[in-house]
Amino acid sequence: MDELIYKLKQEIIEALNLEDMTPEDIDENASLFGEGLGLDSIDALELIVLMEKNYGIKLQDPNQGKEIFKSVKVMAEFIQQNRTK
Amino acid sequence: MMILHRVYISPDKVIVNGKALELTEKGSALLTQIYRSHIGNYPKFFKMDTLCKLGFVASELLLNAEGNRNFEPREDRAVILFNRSASLQADTNYQSTIQDSENFFPSPAAFVYTLPNIVTGEIAIRNKYFGETSFIVIEENDEKLIEQNLSVAFQDTDTKSIIGGWLDCTDEENFEANIFLMEK
Repeated sequence: MDELIYKLKQEIIEALNLEDMTPEDIDENASLFGEGLGLDSIDALELIVLMEKNYGIKLQDPNQGKEIFKSVKVMAEFIQQNRTK
Repeated sequence: MMILHRVYISPDKVIVNGKALELTEKGSALLTQIYRSHIGNYPKFFKMDTLCKLGFVASELLLNAEGNRNFEPREDRAVILFNRSASLQADTNYQSTIQDSENFFPSPAAFVYTLPNIVTGEIAIRNKYFGETSFIVIEENDEKLIEQNLSVAFQDTDTKSIIGGWLDCTDEENFEANIFLMEK
């Protein structure tokens, strides 16, 4: 799981152009939106694309995102349980 | 109409009110160097397409030259820019995400910049400007035509000043900004 969390942090930094951040800067338990990483709605869409592109996960219900994108750790757990590649 | 401040940026040159800034980078790296050396603390910069980065750093240099920045909401300043290439670079970038049917992943973050007027919005949001924002695509950098359009904008009695001028970008290494702050 730690390996997946680290890889996911790297992918998020690249996909969202978080230029000045390193994986170590991201708290795996911190909220991705609002006070945490401060991501916006476009970033949420980009994370949905990231999950489909890199892990073969297609979210059927966009409302699922609210739960899945709570933190990097929650996102990694969801990916581990649902990945098809 | 009177021009108060002017900023010119090309891939290898940055001039503020006639004075060249000492910068070492070229092309898109130059825009990042301007951001890091003269602006900073606005991570959204890194998410922008090249046209937005160009407009953002040019407007920041312009407004720093004006001084007294307080980021208070105001309705008397418009942002009206012109170019020839619309959002060509962002369009090409977005197209690359949907070109291959086997690897078809449209990027929302790339798509959002496939409208050139996004850059006027970025400048207005950053500075809390609630006046007119427009992006007009014309055939060439025609100062007379630009001036005519800006004089029309001043017919709105609420508009007292305009960030206006030329802002064109064909790709990451080819761009030109020649923008100014103008009062009625």
